Amino acid sequence: MQPDWSAAWDKASSTAVGKSNEQRWQRVAVDPVTVQVVGGALRAIASEMAELIFRMAYSSIIRESRDIGAGLIDFHGRQICESDSTPMHCGSLPAYVKGVERIHQGHYREGDVILHNHPYHGASHSPDYGVLVPLFIDGVHIGFAGCTGHMVDIGAANPGFSVDVPDCFAEGQLIDAVKICDGGQRVQGVWSLLMSNVRTPEANTGDLEAMIASCELGRDRFAGLTRKYGLDVVMTCVEEWMDYSERLLRQRIAEVPDGVYQAPDGWLEDDGKHWGEPLKIATTVVVSGSDILIDLSGSNEQVSTGFNCPFEGSVLPTANFAVRSCLLPESAESLGVPQNDGAFRPVHVYAPKGSIFNPNPPRGCEARFTQINRIPDQLMLALADVLPGAVTAGNSANVSCFVYSAESDAGADDYWVTVEVNEGAYGGSLQSDGLDAVDNLMANTRNNPIEEMELTSPLRCEHYELQDAAHGAGKWRGGIGARKIWRFLAPTHASSTGDNRSIDPPRGLFGGASGRAGSVTHITANGDRHSLPAKISNHLFATGDALEISLVSGAGYGDPLERDPMLVQTDVENGLLSPDEAKAIYAVIILPCGKSLDKEGTLALRATRAEADR
Amino acid sequence: MKRIGIDIGGTFTDFVFWDDEARRRVIHKLASTPDDHSRAGVGGILELCDKSGVSLSEIDLILHGTTVATNTLLEGKGASVALITNEGFRDVLHIGRKSRPLNFAHNQDLPRQSRPLVERRLRFGVSGRISAPTGEIVVPLDEKAVVEIAQQLRAAQSVQAVAICCLHAYLNPAHEARIEAIFREHCPDLFVSVSHDIISLYREYERMSTTALNAYVGPGTSEYLSQLSDGLRKLGFGADLCLMTSAGGVIGVGEATKRPVSLLLSGPVGALVAGIQCATDLDIENVITLDVGGTSADIGVAPRREMRMKHLLDNQIAGYDAMVPMCDIGTIGAGGGSIAWIDSGGMFRVGPQSAGAEPGPACYGRGGQYPTVTDALVTMGWYRQEGLVESGLEIKRELAEDAIRRRIAEPLGITLDQAALGIFEIAVHNMAEAVRVGSVARGFDPREFCMVAYGGAGGAFAVPVAQQLNIRTVVIPPTAGVGAAGGLLCTDMHSSRQTTIWRRLDEADVDSLRDQMDSLASAVTSELIGEGLELEAISVRFVADCRYVGQGYELGVTLPELDDAIMWLQSTTEAFHQAHRRAYQRAFEDKPVMLVNLRAIGVGQIPPIGQLEWVPTSTKSSAFNGMALFPGAQTPQWLDTQYFIRDGLESGARITGPAILEQLDTTTIVPPGAVLNVLPDGHLVIDLQEALAHAA
Repeated sequence: MQPDWSAAWDKASSTAVGKSNEQRWQRVAVDPVTVQVVGGALRAIASEMAELIFRMAYSSIIRESRDIGAGLIDFHGRQICESDSTPMHCGSLPAYVKGVERIHQGHYREGDVILHNHPYHGASHSPDYGVLVPLFIDGVHIGFAGCTGHMVDIGAANPGFSVDVPDCFAEGQLIDAVKICDGGQRVQGVWSLLMSNVRTPEANTGDLEAMIASCELGRDRFAGLTRKYGLDVVMTCVEEWMDYSERLLRQRIAEVPDGVYQAPDGWLEDDGKHWGEPLKIATTVVVSGSDILIDLSGSNEQVSTGFNCPFEGSVLPTANFAVRSCLLPESAESLGVPQNDGAFRPVHVYAPKGSIFNPNPPRGCEARFTQINRIPDQLMLALADVLPGAVTAGNSANVSCFVYSAESDAGADDYWVTVEVNEGAYGGSLQSDGLDAVDNLMANTRNNPIEEMELTSPLRCEHYELQDAAHGAGKWRGGIGARKIWRFLAPTHASSTGDNRSIDPPRGLFGGASGRAGSVTHITANGDRHSLPAKISNHLFATGDALEISLVSGAGYGDPLERDPMLVQTDVENGLLSPDEAKAIYAVIILPCGKSLDKEGTLALRATRAEADR
Repeated sequence: MKRIGIDIGGTFTDFVFWDDEARRRVIHKLASTPDDHSRAGVGGILELCDKSGVSLSEIDLILHGTTVATNTLLEGKGASVALITNEGFRDVLHIGRKSRPLNFAHNQDLPRQSRPLVERRLRFGVSGRISAPTGEIVVPLDEKAVVEIAQQLRAAQSVQAVAICCLHAYLNPAHEARIEAIFREHCPDLFVSVSHDIISLYREYERMSTTALNAYVGPGTSEYLSQLSDGLRKLGFGADLCLMTSAGGVIGVGEATKRPVSLLLSGPVGALVAGIQCATDLDIENVITLDVGGTSADIGVAPRREMRMKHLLDNQIAGYDAMVPMCDIGTIGAGGGSIAWIDSGGMFRVGPQSAGAEPGPACYGRGGQYPTVTDALVTMGWYRQEGLVESGLEIKRELAEDAIRRRIAEPLGITLDQAALGIFEIAVHNMAEAVRVGSVARGFDPREFCMVAYGGAGGAFAVPVAQQLNIRTVVIPPTAGVGAAGGLLCTDMHSSRQTTIWRRLDEADVDSLRDQMDSLASAVTSELIGEGLELEAISVRFVADCRYVGQGYELGVTLPELDDAIMWLQSTTEAFHQAHRRAYQRAFEDKPVMLVNLRAIGVGQIPPIGQLEWVPTSTKSSAFNGMALFPGAQTPQWLDTQYFIRDGLESGARITGPAILEQLDTTTIVPPGAVLNVLPDGHLVIDLQEALAHAA
């Protein structure tokens, strides 16, 4: 029990931004059919905005990985609707609006386009550019159409990104609520300044154009909607949907017994510079009625590298994700709660100023995904005893992200820079194995086709399969991480962020085994293997060298001795488990010939094991 | 020429006979036989011939739409398949694009992992590597290993099909071709599916998934097709049998047997094809088709009567990726059986759950407790027992009203009328939203389109959906109830081949492009000639999938004739800028354009069917004068409404709404202010100009 949790509660922020009493629309009576109809239209607007960016964008991190968010926000900064693209981006837009409003104080003109990426003023991290276009209805400023998208390079010390940097200024150009179009006119000087300070001006220009097109589309669609139904009706529906999301989430939170739930301390390997100095993640979950608080007090103090997390733009949306995905998950039948302001109201998060989850400027804070992806994992570990059916055993809960770069042909002013987000794996759960080799928790991006990487880059992939090594055993096993090998056909610099989970692998639940740690290896052209940390900064690979990335596997759920022997047999047949491992871990005997199951032998062995355990 | 269209659906099998000389159309309908679809198919064709007074041997062409391949996949009853790929890549099929369909859920089903098309133990990696972008062989194929795998599989007799997919096979198919040859030699009985032959385009996961899907549904589909064609042949049929593809054309039975994956998404295509034919007959420029059945509504948008294809990367079926050409048809879970409910947050929703055929809507009295869209239509007086007598259905209005009252009206504190109309309007708006996605989001203004309705519930929904979108004209064709089967009679023979080019247009080697176009063209032409078409009936067009250098998503551009190289490059580039502007409201004219894929689409024209003069088949046209519920300015209002017998209406008849036209397989609603005309060929045309002005 943490005695001062109520103090933490008082200090905790939710993402709901301050509301002014100023009303630019009236709440009116709207029938339930219209509420439904306008809700559908808003969902469609957000998804159309996102779809446009995927299709029009240049860099693979946006178009293939789909590392973006898009939607509408009202002038208070309350989210009206957002696309269901990458969860990390869902819910960060209100913080961007708050950061922009801090500068512009309500002074916007039709035709403005505002660019923002300041991580200490609401941005998720500096590579996530936010674009906002004001919405005017009959000359009155109602809100913004906005989107966020990950730029491949923003002029940091090293190409793309790297963890070992002194401060946020070394992480790239900071743009603090700058108008790149002013009343419909492009501010050429600003565009020139932006693009002359990055290594990939072509891709950035294309991506920015796509983001602006997306916001303009959102603006026009919203105007069309208000023309059809009237502003008062539309905004009343917006309020109804916000209340609806809040109501649904509160119902689920209220079902969790009130209490203070402590997760076991989590550990990160290092900060990317001070090797061997692990960083602590402390997590207390407090449930009180229909409110929930994630208290990160006791977590490591801020670090001197770029391995800190912007609070408003990253930690807040993550807390919301953690609660929603556990308590009110989407399913094929029900899409859960619409992403809007209401979904944030019952969720609170606290992290002390000066901690890794709430750093002070000018600390670097670009590489934040690995740490924040532990928040949903920690929440589930904390709530496992009361919600055994809603949680998973420990997840990979990191993100392995690499950037590869080289100067193009001599004299060219463009670089080749490619960002690759590697997959993770889920922990097992009450009724199913964890998903194998899939993006985990806050991450949900797509890989680049290998054929495309090879068509456009001096890289050759030599391996991309599940690992054969033993996985997180359990009644339901953890998902298996992939192993990937890239061969470099030209000298290439690589930087990465991530955590191999080597000192704190994903935790098993209810008797399940831990997940398996990952590894990063530099293989030289002559075959020598050198182990690398998960975070490398501008590491050089010579022509003919290779990089092997083995990703983290999820943990098991429940006693391995209770696993259905047929499932064990299937894993043996599929080469994911050896007959010896089947016997040692699961007490399942696979006959040597034909790999068939020895049912009686298995029953007997399991009985003996159970006896021995007793 | 005498031809038959036969469309086998889950519930009904529809047949249409057409005779060019006698200018006669005969329609037939039969319950499907899911245990062996060829039974209803063959039996129904015989009955249809009987009804039409012809013998099967007189039929010149049978055109067939089938869900056999689709059902094989949906039911998980496909073949046991082995996969041969590069060493180190056997899990590409398992990892896919590594994303998950839902963001906010930890437990979700990934069919590629939970029900793999090929089990991991049957996925084999062999040494051998082709590099990009040149297609050079950097590691030779380990043929010995391939032979060993083939022998081992033959000995074990555990698989019926093999899928072959190697990296960069679209650049150089040598390794795949060699593996195929080895398998044909050692395992002659296996169904073989080879990636460069199925879809020779880059993106290894999608290509591998498509190739594996083809192998998975291959043996079952082949068996069905041979049973059907053997069955017909034994009864005297000696002409061609053609199959509808998801791209909206038909292919011969031989081609369909080799590429059953191209049949997978063909279900919703028929109505779009029929709608385009209807637009041609009525001289309508732009057409939107709305096909509403029991559980879903399919929406097709055809500007200038052209079928548009989806982007190849957007095609999924049952959670598996299928990179095959498919018409851009949107499907949503909204139909007569869609259930209305109030969710735990108090929102009034309709669908996507459906009451299905059993127990069906509450009004069927078969135990359905939940109010459906059909129950709403019954409560509103749009569907009535007397109008459905012919269909054999019995409906009980009190059950419909009771379900709506208990589950919707009372919890929401609204009247029964408001609740019933609300259910209908939510369903209408869901459909209108889907039409907007298919039109506005693609750069087309629905106001410039005319809507053609198909399906049992199409006639009830078409007008209100059109009104939502400010569409001024709605057409209900005489064969609205058997739209897909009718569509089969209006198709042409298709053949397509594609390859990845991966060159900037401004750096393109036009001579080599010309060679590639020639070779693609001769491949599609010879396939069509092989299907018995005359050279004069064949036309080939080329589509270039282009994007700006650096982008990742292509837009298809129809290529001009390649006469003058410079002109050709200029006009292709300009066409791409235009397509980009239409899609994204802007173009980057100073940026270089990349030609990613080149596709040749061969069309072998089958002579079109003509129009028929409408002859009423019923002597009575007016059925009943009653009351029906329509939206009012504030509250719903019951209006005096005339009910007509559609089959009794003379051509030239003119009806002003409110009116309801009843017929066996669909009911058409004419709202207040709208004017319906019966055309000489039996099409019903509803003009909404007045109604729109009225509403405004």
